[in-house]
Amino acid sequence: MENNVTQVAFKINGKEHTLDIDNRFTLLDILRDKLNLTGAKKGCDLGECGACTVTLDGKAVNSCQILAVKIASSEIKTIEGLNQGNILHPLQISFIENDGGQCGYCTPGFIMGAYPLFESRRNVSVEEIRLALAGNLCRCNAYGAIIDSVVGAIGIKADG
Amino acid sequence: MKTFTFYKPTELEGASKLLSGVGRGYLLAGGTDLMTEMKQGVIEPELLISASDIKDMSGIVWNDSGITIGSMVTLDEIASDTNIESRIKSLAEAAISIATPQIRNIATLGGNLCQRPRCWYYRNVRFNCLKKGGDKCFAIGGSNKYNAILGGGDSCYIVHPSDSATVLVALKAKVDIFRNFQRVTMPIRDFFIGPEVDVTRENILEPGDILISVQIPKESMGGKNVFLKAKERQSMDFAIASIAAMAKMENGLITEVGIAAGGVAPTPWHLTSTERKLIGYCVDDINVQAISAEAFADAKILGQNGYKLQLAQTYLERALNLVLR
Amino acid sequence: MVDQNAHPPSVGTSFQRVDLRDKVLGIAKYTADLSLPDMLHARVLRSPHPHANILSIDVQPALNMVGVHDILTPFNVGEGKVAPDVPILDTKVRFVGDEIAVVAAVNVYEADAAIDLIKVSYEVLPFSTNMDTSMKKGNPKIHTQGNVVNGGPIVEARGNVEEGFDQADYIVEDSFTTPGHHPASLEPRAALASWDGTRLTMWKPSRGIHADKAILASALDVNPNNITVIGPVMGGGYGSKDETRTSVLAALLSMRTGRPVKLELSREEEFLAGRRRHSTFTKIKMGVKKDGTVTAVHAKTVMDTGAYLSSGPGVVRRAGQGALYLYRCPNVKYEGQIVYTNTPTAGSYRALGAPQGHFALESLSDQVADKLSIDPLKFRLMNHVGPEGQPGERTTPKNQIIDTQPVEGGIPFSSNELRQCLILGADAIGWERRDQIQTPTGFIKRGIGMSMFIYRGGPGGQSKAKMSLDEDGFFTLNVGFMDVGEGSSTVVLQMAADTLGVLPQMVRLNSGNTDNTPQSPMTAGSTLTFSAGQAAVRAANQLAQIVIEAASEVIGLTDTEGLYITPEGVCSARGDEVNFTDLAKKSGLLKTTVSVTPGSRDYIVNSFGAHFAEIEVDIETGYVKVIKYVAAHDSGTIINPRMAESQVRGGISQMMGFTFLEDMEIDDLSGVTLNASFLEHKSPTIMEYPEIEVIFADSIDPVGPFGAKSLGETPCIAPAPTIANALYHATGVRLNHLPFTPDNVLTALRKLR
Repeated sequence: MENNVTQVAFKINGKEHTLDIDNRFTLLDILRDKLNLTGAKKGCDLGECGACTVTLDGKAVNSCQILAVKIASSEIKTIEGLNQGNILHPLQISFIENDGGQCGYCTPGFIMGAYPLFESRRNVSVEEIRLALAGNLCRCNAYGAIIDSVVGAIGIKADG
Repeated sequence: MKTFTFYKPTELEGASKLLSGVGRGYLLAGGTDLMTEMKQGVIEPELLISASDIKDMSGIVWNDSGITIGSMVTLDEIASDTNIESRIKSLAEAAISIATPQIRNIATLGGNLCQRPRCWYYRNVRFNCLKKGGDKCFAIGGSNKYNAILGGGDSCYIVHPSDSATVLVALKAKVDIFRNFQRVTMPIRDFFIGPEVDVTRENILEPGDILISVQIPKESMGGKNVFLKAKERQSMDFAIASIAAMAKMENGLITEVGIAAGGVAPTPWHLTSTERKLIGYCVDDINVQAISAEAFADAKILGQNGYKLQLAQTYLERALNLVLR
Repeated sequence: MVDQNAHPPSVGTSFQRVDLRDKVLGIAKYTADLSLPDMLHARVLRSPHPHANILSIDVQPALNMVGVHDILTPFNVGEGKVAPDVPILDTKVRFVGDEIAVVAAVNVYEADAAIDLIKVSYEVLPFSTNMDTSMKKGNPKIHTQGNVVNGGPIVEARGNVEEGFDQADYIVEDSFTTPGHHPASLEPRAALASWDGTRLTMWKPSRGIHADKAILASALDVNPNNITVIGPVMGGGYGSKDETRTSVLAALLSMRTGRPVKLELSREEEFLAGRRRHSTFTKIKMGVKKDGTVTAVHAKTVMDTGAYLSSGPGVVRRAGQGALYLYRCPNVKYEGQIVYTNTPTAGSYRALGAPQGHFALESLSDQVADKLSIDPLKFRLMNHVGPEGQPGERTTPKNQIIDTQPVEGGIPFSSNELRQCLILGADAIGWERRDQIQTPTGFIKRGIGMSMFIYRGGPGGQSKAKMSLDEDGFFTLNVGFMDVGEGSSTVVLQMAADTLGVLPQMVRLNSGNTDNTPQSPMTAGSTLTFSAGQAAVRAANQLAQIVIEAASEVIGLTDTEGLYITPEGVCSARGDEVNFTDLAKKSGLLKTTVSVTPGSRDYIVNSFGAHFAEIEVDIETGYVKVIKYVAAHDSGTIINPRMAESQVRGGISQMMGFTFLEDMEIDDLSGVTLNASFLEHKSPTIMEYPEIEVIFADSIDPVGPFGAKSLGETPCIAPAPTIANALYHATGVRLNHLPFTPDNVLTALRKLR
């Protein structure tokens, strides 16, 4: 292992990938540059905006802050893994119905930030939603519509 | 970012050897701070040694003497642990107040204690400040609203960035360190060092040393404890001032007390003289306002950070009122 | 001829934002998401000095690296300019972060390594990080013309302000400063250039692809016919993304290497090389009679534009519009001056100068009301400019379009429901309980404040639209403007569809490529809905006529009498019907092109509003909490209520950053920007987001398309003075310096004690 390239295997959106990667690559670099999964955005590359949020073994993380070599054999989910073709995830439907994005650059990050909350709880308060999304910046400041979108999606889940 | 070799040892011994061996080696815990420093060019590791697979550094264990938290336990695990929430509320409050949900899912307790300061001049590669081996503190006479009002001496005015450190000092915690191939335990307040000891680092860790775990004694639990943090923004922000306080009372007498301030000094600031004015006294005789006003008498204002004095006094007063009433 | 009863109109409904589906799926492509085969990656060497001449640059060691293909320096880029005061690269650098050299390499790591090998020899010059130093006589000139742009202020006046002050019983005067905060759009600047030997194709975030094309052509000396600019989905800009050096550098590298080149800025670079809001110093005074009548207003604003001028002249003019026009007054004067400093460049940022000007004006207005012992709302109700406009004589010739920022009096507004905003907003916040909410004891103080504003109403530059009925039976609206994330394409589509009489789902919008869209001005100054909307409405009207004429031929009628458009096709009164698909097949492509010069020869078209806030102040910690915020706007007809509401709430929340948190912190001793990150330039998070009630006044503008006026920037004008006035009400302390961070609030409170 005395070199700067490492072979890493992990599961992304249910699919196994084995890649030889430059040790410097973050998970975000892998997604965007190697796998063409560009839904996660490089808004700051320093873990300060949440635009690159994906889930790592079920938890929301900043993919730009995680060295890919560190997370061998982990399971990753990105925004591209949420819908099944034309069948959209309830969060995606609700973000459309509640106008939960403006320029949209932060939108995949917000949806992935809300995803663990959606998966784990049936009823959440607005305060819990705010806390869960406190690591995502929206410079259009569409926060009101984003809260409405998450509330709407969890409503969809309770009904379903 | 410069390239590096990556290691993932499973034993403390192996990790320690790599850290003290040839080349600039850094221990990688959650990496949320280390990655930032690498990307900004503040540090250039030649070896990164992942602590993820090292035994002994994970898990939360309760026993007769208290609780032991592995340094690789994440901040989210601490914040969402119901036992910690009920018995050591201030630690849970500190954990949840740190950074963002995404960072708390990755960042570890050990990493939070060992993270580097946020002083603008330290973080910016354009300044070769004292902490980076230079000969000047740029905060003196510069933009210093977030810098220290205590403990800077005549050299470095960073504030220690760790909220968990402030709480653990107040809780009189101990740290377990792997040093020279054995486990050493010491009070956490001795773990942190100010610029007067060594301006280039914030704790006693030498190359090869590894912070294994933190112990919180049973004596610090059961009473009231609280963590109050002033920040400019309600998420994604460091303390501009904070107070961690713990107190136990029997028959109106204060039997245990621990108080520390954060965001005001290069180390978590242990308010020992304030503790002395409380321990053994009857709660009803305590003048919280007067004690709080005296607590930061040594403060030295740099120019733009004078408001921190008022914030620290106010938060101390509020924290004492919460734990003593 | 259009059947108004065929289906409910789309205008006035919350039709779904057209590009939102792609955005929630993560498949919307932004510039940085694009890549081309054999693409090189570029990185920029930036100046470590705030002010220096570059004597020489040694790039050879860097060029010798295997992965490095080319390096641009001021000595090899030619004489082209990207702006009058911005060469492609210059032998003089004017702020820490200014571009010096650009490397194209096989990947960013190699490019970064090459940057480290470039050796630059500088002649370091004295520098200035603030306006006072810049304006001192004898201090080094940042540009050859001197540090005060055009040598002095612009001066605008109506009546005689000295006479106005002579008539006053009281004169109230004060000074205000505002911070140079950063729009920091979540998407950093990026450019992807591809040169094939004769043609340049440029992908970049853009608010004006046609304007960008002209700049690229001129800077690179390439025939505009050989340039295509494509604007992918844009990740926010708020006005700031009109900087074009980034794209010119990528283009030049592609032309020299013959390979596609992508240049993506880092977050720190976006803060440094992007565009911030102008920080300002404003001195303002108002004269009033004892009965509360305003007799004179005089404001002087000095603005820091940083290293380059950018859109400074437009911004400084707009900072004065409130002082000139918000209060009914015969005697007003405004002086606006722009100063260069060795700091990152200021430029367009949402509402361009109006927030700075209104912060001073509307804070002072409360002080005047205080002096008169009149309720601040009542003072405004007494003095706000009404539908009839300002006193005085019209000087604009009769046949000329009225400026949207007039100085002269004697011209009425096309619509002005400011009074309605004041009354509805006051009612929603509960203004009548204002005197009872204050808490005499305890460390939490409560207060209610308000302010009002005036802003351009939407007429912008000449706007074009093409519209066609295509072979597949769908319509295409072809426009040259860019949707910068605010949703203009959706509202323009709604207006076109309604005008035509079809469902908006029947209309496709084509935009974002200079090859197949008509010339169009930039998305700037809140002009899109009004100006592009007028063009779309006219195009749709003309196309409707063309479609009906074609239908009469297809059906076999001698004239168009009795024909009308339905959602499916064209019908006649006697029941003949041809659907759009058949019509398109039989008639061939039906199309029209229109060009409109938006505006009015008879009226001033302006938007208005009034904001109200209830807050709590912790006087021991300086922390301010917004309990409730009410925004009442007159933007004419609201085309899409949900999007409009989101626009208002977003603008207010964005300006909570300006009010409470954000400033670019420049180290005076080195010129280095210290907080060029999302962590340290503290923009509001979802935790800061307050409860915001949005009210739209009942208003239909007779000039605007469907009665609409501007809305994009107007939510950003009133937040700071509204909070400042609430803070005063809560604590008795007036804060004249933004932002209201805990340290600033505590410092101000301490002075009172």
